[in-house]
Amino acid sequence: MNFKKITALAAAGVMAVSLAACGSGGGKASDKSTSTSESSDSAESKSTEKTAVAGNKDAKEKLVVWTLAADLNQFAEHYTESHPDVQIETVTIAPADYPTKVQTAMRGKQKTPDIIVGEPQMLDEMYEAGYFEDLDQDPYNAQQYKDDIVDYVWDVGKDQDGVQRTISYQITPAGIFYRRDIAQEVFGTDDPDAVGEHFKDYATILQTGETLKEKGYKIFASDGEMNFFSGDSAWVVDGKLNVDQARKDYMDLCVNLYQKDMTAYVDSWSTTWYQAMSGSVPVIDSDTSVWDEKQMKEAEKNGKTTEVFAFGLPSWGVLTMRDNVGDLSGKWGVCKGPSYGFSGGTFIGISALSEKKDLAWDFLKFCTLDPDTLDWWIDASQGDVVSNLEVLEKHKDDENPIYGNEKLYQFFLDQAKGIDYSKVTKYDKVIGDAWGEAIGKVKKGEKSKEDAMSEFYDVVESTYPDIKVDR
Amino acid sequence: MASETKVKKKKKKNLNNTGYLFVAPFVIVFLIFNVYPVLRTLYLSFTDYKGFGDAIFSGGANYSRVLHDKFFWRALGNTAKIWGVNIVLQLGLALLLTIVFSDIKYKIRGLGIFRALYYLPNLIAATSVAFLFKTLLDWRYGTINQMLMGIGMMKNPVDWLGSPGTAPYVISVISAWMWFGNSFIMLMAGVQGISRDYFEAAAIDGAGRFKVFTKITMPLLRPIMLYVGITSLIGGLQMFDLPFLISGGTGGKPSGSTQTVVMYLYKFGFETNQVGFASAIAYVLFAIILVFSVIQFKAMYGKKKGEVA
Repeated sequence: MNFKKITALAAAGVMAVSLAACGSGGGKASDKSTSTSESSDSAESKSTEKTAVAGNKDAKEKLVVWTLAADLNQFAEHYTESHPDVQIETVTIAPADYPTKVQTAMRGKQKTPDIIVGEPQMLDEMYEAGYFEDLDQDPYNAQQYKDDIVDYVWDVGKDQDGVQRTISYQITPAGIFYRRDIAQEVFGTDDPDAVGEHFKDYATILQTGETLKEKGYKIFASDGEMNFFSGDSAWVVDGKLNVDQARKDYMDLCVNLYQKDMTAYVDSWSTTWYQAMSGSVPVIDSDTSVWDEKQMKEAEKNGKTTEVFAFGLPSWGVLTMRDNVGDLSGKWGVCKGPSYGFSGGTFIGISALSEKKDLAWDFLKFCTLDPDTLDWWIDASQGDVVSNLEVLEKHKDDENPIYGNEKLYQFFLDQAKGIDYSKVTKYDKVIGDAWGEAIGKVKKGEKSKEDAMSEFYDVVESTYPDIKVDR
Repeated sequence: MASETKVKKKKKKNLNNTGYLFVAPFVIVFLIFNVYPVLRTLYLSFTDYKGFGDAIFSGGANYSRVLHDKFFWRALGNTAKIWGVNIVLQLGLALLLTIVFSDIKYKIRGLGIFRALYYLPNLIAATSVAFLFKTLLDWRYGTINQMLMGIGMMKNPVDWLGSPGTAPYVISVISAWMWFGNSFIMLMAGVQGISRDYFEAAAIDGAGRFKVFTKITMPLLRPIMLYVGITSLIGGLQMFDLPFLISGGTGGKPSGSTQTVVMYLYKFGFETNQVGFASAIAYVLFAIILVFSVIQFKAMYGKKKGEVA
């Protein structure tokens, strides 16, 4: 009998272990009891996480950081150099998974991570959920640093009640990155202010596009380049959907750019899009067969391989371009767009459940408020634009050789001053995507403008029943 | 005598306890990972839970919103369309192969090898399949357009994944390609379960191939076909991975034509923090699956009664 019991226990134990290993996927709203059969997918083992540890293994104190950008790992390395008694574990998580991960940790009342971050479009909901420590109280008293930081960044770090929750080390205003050599040839000048005049509003941009087209160039690679400049008003005002004239003008601009053959018909972030940063790319409209050698040669002769004049990107585009311009290094410039805009930025806060808040605050201060660190970061990142005014002031005369020795810190600081953060809402991503979809249908001629707009309204209404939609 | 019964009783009892011990791990895991989420989802579907903060009871508001949401119905329509075309192709192909392989006159060799080959697509992860077909079906540089244009079947490239008229059906075809091997194995097993006496008797009586198929194979295969149909329907209504990966997100590009119900659910549960509403979608879908399953089961047993095996 005893032997039987022992075997039974052992067998049961083995089963428990193997079952537990199988059953770890569930637990969310999509679980249903009828999950037998077909579409139950084979295991996807894609890793979206990367853990790095900085500092001494035997260090007395350990800080855990969950971040979106690997930048913070470099900050951690730098921090532990001067703090040998601290070890920092930095976990970099893909943006798509980040909110869910943090949500699970916070709902499970986990004491780590000590530091959590967010991008502007995620922050509202994270503030509302109470994940971040109040930085206005003792011992932090963050408001004393208010004047050290660019205004809009400081505002993004505040929750709906005006309480400081996060701070960022960078600013991310948008600019237009253009080819100086082409500007010189077509417009007779490559001066950023003068070129900026050719992008001052949507009508002028279309004109600029025509002029470039006549000379055999394309103004943009994709028709979405002005996306960062399209948010001149908030999508939702007082609980009502707000589609103002500027939005409609933006739609017309995209449709015109596409239909009047002013772009290279390339998707943003595609290989060809990057390729256009370093020189000529094929522009193939739907009539040309890419497999027909004769047609392709013909296309080439007819100017259908072309060079792209400009890209619209936030300040982190400085680094994106740097890595892709190749031989065109030095021939790019940056000028202002039709309006002020920004995108992204890593905002750092302290988890409300952390047990090491003092240490976390020290690290947060080190990353965002210490001029020496940010001075170091400008060097280490080779051109990231920081949010600290003192450091920006110090570097405002720095010339960037990749961009024809333009003073980019000064430029982005000026752009940052114009940004109005109150125009950002938590609805922006979904509504913006739906608007982009509507534009896509109009430009390809699948739907009339009225029909596409009407469907857009339907989508917003169905996704957010709380938002009032006036058609 | 009396003491003997006592001993027997004791033995029986102990045996039962051992049995419980054996099933306990499964039951515990099942309770935690299946029963609890299902009940919790039911509870959440009656609240306005956002994924954080408090869940405030909102009555049937979520359900009424689901039933009045035209995009939910569009997603259900898409799902039905994609699954419908898929099941016709999948079962059709599997049936055809079953007929060929089970024909007593052909005597095809190497059934095991073919069975393994046909099953192979099923072993590839959906992510890989999606990537593979996205590359093959690329509008400008894809191999499929290149081949079709090479042999002169069409003049201009077709934007398979970019136009609402083709994208859902492309997913149906891919799905059928992934699953026909599975159905084939089941149908083959069904055919092998039919006594060879029937086929031999039919051959002696001079029944043609078509007669044998319609009068013997099909009727006797019906239960297994219904089983394949039901499991495929349940899986089909929950379709997510392939359309999600191929259209690149929950929007169901192009124009929402590949947005399935579970993609729609995912959009609310994980992208817009409306967990309560997403839970209600899950339960409406559950109800739909339940209704269809009951209908199919009824059909199966109803037919069985009428037939004398």
